[in-house]
Amino acid sequence: MKNSLRLDPQITSRIVLVLVLFVLFSVFESSFATAANIYTVLEGFAFTGLVALAIGITIIAGEMDLSVGSMAAVAGVIAVSFAGLGLIFAVLLAVLVTAALGALQGVAIGLLRIPSIVFTVGTMIWLRGLVYILSGENTVVVPDLKMVEVIRHPVSVFSLFSLITIGMFILMGLFMNYSRSGRNVYAIGGGRMQAAAAGVPVFRTIVLIFTVSGILAGLAGSLVCLKSGSAIPHGLEGLLLLAAAAALIGGTTLSGGRGTVLGIALGAMTIRFVSSYINFKAMPYYAENLAIGALLILIIAIELLVAKPGRTAHGTHGLTRRAKQSAVHWEP
Amino acid sequence: MNDSAQSPRTAPSQANLRNLIVPLGVGGAALIILIIGWITNPAFLTKDNLLQIVRSASLIGIAALGTTFITIAGHYFSLAVQQTAMVCAISFAGTLSLGWGVVPALLVTLLLALVLGLVQGYLVGLGANPIILTLGAGVVIYGMAALLTDNKVVRTGTDIAEWIGRARPLGIATQTYALLLFTVLAHIVLTRTRLGRLIMLVGDNKQAARATGLSVMKATVASFAIASVAAGTCGIFLAAQIGQGRVDQFSTLNFEVIAAVLVAGTSIQGGQGSALRTTMGTIFIALLNNLLLLSGQPYGIRIFVMGLCVVLGVSFFHLLRRRTP
Repeated sequence: MKNSLRLDPQITSRIVLVLVLFVLFSVFESSFATAANIYTVLEGFAFTGLVALAIGITIIAGEMDLSVGSMAAVAGVIAVSFAGLGLIFAVLLAVLVTAALGALQGVAIGLLRIPSIVFTVGTMIWLRGLVYILSGENTVVVPDLKMVEVIRHPVSVFSLFSLITIGMFILMGLFMNYSRSGRNVYAIGGGRMQAAAAGVPVFRTIVLIFTVSGILAGLAGSLVCLKSGSAIPHGLEGLLLLAAAAALIGGTTLSGGRGTVLGIALGAMTIRFVSSYINFKAMPYYAENLAIGALLILIIAIELLVAKPGRTAHGTHGLTRRAKQSAVHWEP
Repeated sequence: MNDSAQSPRTAPSQANLRNLIVPLGVGGAALIILIIGWITNPAFLTKDNLLQIVRSASLIGIAALGTTFITIAGHYFSLAVQQTAMVCAISFAGTLSLGWGVVPALLVTLLLALVLGLVQGYLVGLGANPIILTLGAGVVIYGMAALLTDNKVVRTGTDIAEWIGRARPLGIATQTYALLLFTVLAHIVLTRTRLGRLIMLVGDNKQAARATGLSVMKATVASFAIASVAAGTCGIFLAAQIGQGRVDQFSTLNFEVIAAVLVAGTSIQGGQGSALRTTMGTIFIALLNNLLLLSGQPYGIRIFVMGLCVVLGVSFFHLLRRRTP
């Protein structure tokens, strides 16, 4: 169990990475370190960070929610469709729906004791269908672009959107570190059988993390779609890659039980710096994804090379190992 | 020791029962769809439509048969199937357009698929999480293909490969013959060869396999190589059929392949599953899709139903697996 507010070497190395990237990009690109660009980077961070947090906490719990992208898209369509009734209402409604969907997903995974990768790949497809149905297969738009201006209106380098995200990160950081439920998340990710034996409520914790994942993805999806004034049915498809990459770069390990909220924030920031720099180079849109995909594979390779030999000698990846355990021994 | 490892040895009658439940379940579901289709839509249960369904299912089926090896080896599935198929379609169309013969074009393309599979398999064998790795690999393959082709359509510029994609010997499409051939081949490899049994055993219980000196790495690399070559074959067929390759092809293939493998009960926890099940799953999904399409349902409903099938299918088979000790 790690404490995100105490600076351990892992967090320090991530902070150094973010700072080095910032300095390098600022040197090579004169307009990188301007207020306007920092604002853009923070807007991207607001969006990527929330979804990275959504998948990140499920990975810390030894699960993996692959449905975050589709979940965000569901929220986006709902929020934009109901924007006419007021922004706060639209966001609350969208987040309520995704929270309920996430909770249902958590209940199903907890009750069936099914590996969440398999279940959420199904819901990822299913929810994408729902997005098409809700949007009537068309782009939905807000009635008036002026009304959503408040979400992105710059206040110094911040906007309401990035401030909400930073607030959520602080909230989640406090929750994961100082609440019993947050510590339970680490416990069931680190060793599910031991956690269950020690009296950790495994079922309740699983429902909790998938609900929180739904809330965070829903918040990200509804705010980003409202901000742009429209939601398209196939939108936010690349989100899973960004979110997973940010969580992993932030030091969340796929074997579960390890990872910090601060680390995920730093991971998301790293991703946004790289994206921003590539955008300056006027490269085609797919170059950005290519770079992030390559970065993701690089991180995986580094994690493999520096991994303790004992870990690779046992099972290849933690999720399979735990899935097998949980399917047999684990009692909710 | 997990339950799947015990069941075939300690309770053969129950294992046999379970082996029957799976084909009966999927077959029964397919039969229900056929009956619903027959009642509701006169155009559904015709020879032409059924042949068309099987033809369109064939490409997905070939890729899904390959992915079955990954699943049985205990590595879930790949999120790079559609990108591999796409890059192979481009490679095949591109080499033909350069004036290469069909055979060298085929060989180079399959070699490309093989290399992609070997690299991913090796990294997973070292301990990478297969979902995250193939997610990254898919994006990298897509990005490289888009950069190399400048995001433009690559035409074959020749019709010498057209036969592969469009011929219908005895009234049945070449793709359908290929699906049958691949099903039989995959079934034989899985049940009758050392490699197949190695993949089964490693997927069933990795620790036990390692303890008895079996090579987990070999099983992992082989399963990804087979999956990648199968995806490449799927891409070659499509390029031959429509005479071109482009990066936005196969935009839903990953979903369809995952659905086909999972819906028919190949266990996601490894060690269990068969080629026949995957082919049945593919045809089941194709029947369902076609029925929805004929009754005028939009794309969203079709994706929705497919996702629901995966959720219900994996839940059902997971419970079944737990209930029969």
